[in-house]
Amino acid sequence: MIRVLLTKPTHDCHDRGVRYLAKRFRDEGFEVVFTNFLLPAEIVATAVQEDVEVIGISSGSGGHMPVFEELVPALHAEGLDDVTIIAGGNIPPADAERLTELGVAGVFGPGSDPDAAVELVRRLRSAPASR
Amino acid sequence: MLDAEKLAASEEAAARWQADYDRMAERFGGHKERTTHSGIPVKPAYFAHDVPAGAQTEAPGTYPFTRGNLAAQYQFMTWANQPVIGYGLPEQTRERMDLLSEQGMVGYFGQRFYNLVYDLVSHEGLDPDDPAARGRIGQCGMAVYSVRDMERLFAGLDPTQMNVIHITYYQVIPALAQYIAYAEKLGLTPDQLRGNSMNWYHQSAYVGMSAFPPGAGHKLAVELISFCAKRMPRWNTTNLFAYGVEEAGGTATQEIGLMLACGIDLVRSCMEAGLQPDEFLPRFGFQIAQANDFFEEICKIRAMRRIWATTMHERFGAQDPRSMHVRIHTHTSGAVLTAQQPQVNLIRATLHTLGAALAGTQAMEVSAYDEALAIPTEEAATLALRTQQVIQEETNITAVSDPLAGSYYVEALTDQVAAKALELVARIEELGGYTAAQETDWIRSEVEESARRWRDEVDSGERRVVGVNCYAVDEEPATPTFRVDESVEQIAVERIHELRATRDQARYDDAIGRFAEAAEAFAAKETAELGDGALLDAAIDAARAEASTGEMMGVLKKALGWRAPHVF
Repeated sequence: MIRVLLTKPTHDCHDRGVRYLAKRFRDEGFEVVFTNFLLPAEIVATAVQEDVEVIGISSGSGGHMPVFEELVPALHAEGLDDVTIIAGGNIPPADAERLTELGVAGVFGPGSDPDAAVELVRRLRSAPASR
Repeated sequence: MLDAEKLAASEEAAARWQADYDRMAERFGGHKERTTHSGIPVKPAYFAHDVPAGAQTEAPGTYPFTRGNLAAQYQFMTWANQPVIGYGLPEQTRERMDLLSEQGMVGYFGQRFYNLVYDLVSHEGLDPDDPAARGRIGQCGMAVYSVRDMERLFAGLDPTQMNVIHITYYQVIPALAQYIAYAEKLGLTPDQLRGNSMNWYHQSAYVGMSAFPPGAGHKLAVELISFCAKRMPRWNTTNLFAYGVEEAGGTATQEIGLMLACGIDLVRSCMEAGLQPDEFLPRFGFQIAQANDFFEEICKIRAMRRIWATTMHERFGAQDPRSMHVRIHTHTSGAVLTAQQPQVNLIRATLHTLGAALAGTQAMEVSAYDEALAIPTEEAATLALRTQQVIQEETNITAVSDPLAGSYYVEALTDQVAAKALELVARIEELGGYTAAQETDWIRSEVEESARRWRDEVDSGERRVVGVNCYAVDEEPATPTFRVDESVEQIAVERIHELRATRDQARYDDAIGRFAEAAEAFAAKETAELGDGALLDAAIDAARAEASTGEMMGVLKKALGWRAPHVF
């Protein structure tokens, strides 16, 4: 079973999208852990503890870039090089490009098709050879 | 009531229409049931006998106020243009305040109105030098954390000549205390101040930011209402946040039903704490969404005015008409705006604005077309203001109070929306009231179920969203988006360091210590013991001693608890 951590900043009031996606992922048979975080280090700690393969971070109010910039090296430092990172929420196109450069596998902004997120996770995580 | 002759004629007209309609329906593959967004079935046509009896004799400005709070709607005073402002440093927010004022942003009778939103760091109850503040300082709000920042924000303005709406999250008490302390430095007393506190701890029932536990938030709300009822008679104490219900995915009937249930809970506790309804209800306000289902959204406003008035009067004995009024700040829906083809949002927002005006709102914020992308640009913010101004100045709809009254459909639907909202209120009362239903996450799960249904309908194509699941285009031109200057972060951090280094430390230590004692004492109080003003007095004294928002919120969090509000 694919284990996914979906998380959003505690600062951020917008959680309708990420909670919808959490339900969709669960309906698709993924095991979903949902948290709020204050610091990127909390995401890393939860990812280690819950042994997830995918981390999805939702941000609707800005301030997402420093989170990803800190998160990626912190995951590497913990040896979590193989975790798939996805992003969602209100992320301007220029930031989305930078996130892709950082290694984020998919950015799902407003109006995105949830099936696309499901398919991406399945494609990247289902075949044992790719793990 | 229709007399027998008119009733028979109306029913006969309906029967003739039905026969004609059925013939057409047969030709086009059968009648398809339609409902409102709230799930209320809608008939293809309405007739005189569909209008409920009471609706035929009600006047604008009379109980139960379905048709509006006052006899005159916009004839002498149109709704107030209240764009939400706030980003970057206080000085930058001030620039936009001045710009929009120059562009004609005025409140009632030309009075200055500032609808100011604090930043994400303040919302979390932190200071800019906290590690978690990085990237969030001055984002989606202004970096204001102390009396000194308020001096930077308001320099040269006269607080007695303006309304300041402090859009906080749960840092309500620190923000009010700092504003009072700021005004004192100008020689003013709290009773001279006009404005609003949000006091909306109830929104953690359906909004996912960290919050005080529901019971503690409820007590804080009652305490502030009581303080202002006694000491700040011009201050609007409470913003019932219906808008957030809609943004979280709730329907029209959930929006008003939840806010009436919340109001009932607040009134009950305020009365238990020794207040009479007419002492505090006139200072309640409502922030209500105007979203896509055009007629249901109008009927929602009319229904809310009716059920709020009847509940406050019949159940709680309110006598002052102002205690029964639903004073509305409309915020046009952001949740139904799209990142795809963003300029189309101008059209959506225009329809929302028109609907709110026809329903009789008191003040309005129109969402900017680029809100699904970033903080609005200056151009987008100005266009949002212009949307209101075109409707106010050019359409002549301000000539007539409650212009849709008497519409067979509008009157029938108003009744149905009211009935469905009251069913929800009754259900919540069975569960022990709003705060109890919040404790168990029942409210969240109800709203979330509506959100899921909406999303499933969009994904299946059953609910059409222009530019998303129909009329989509492949390549979209880049929309210029607004960015907060990167130096904001560094300057805000320097300022908080400077504050700590230069304030009177002994005075601060003493005041924050006494605030902590007051908070501990407050935490132990029962509802009936609330209202002595001790918590607010200690908060104001801490603000005078230059306590920051993060420092004051730290005290409240420690005494009352602080957590992510919803399990998954």
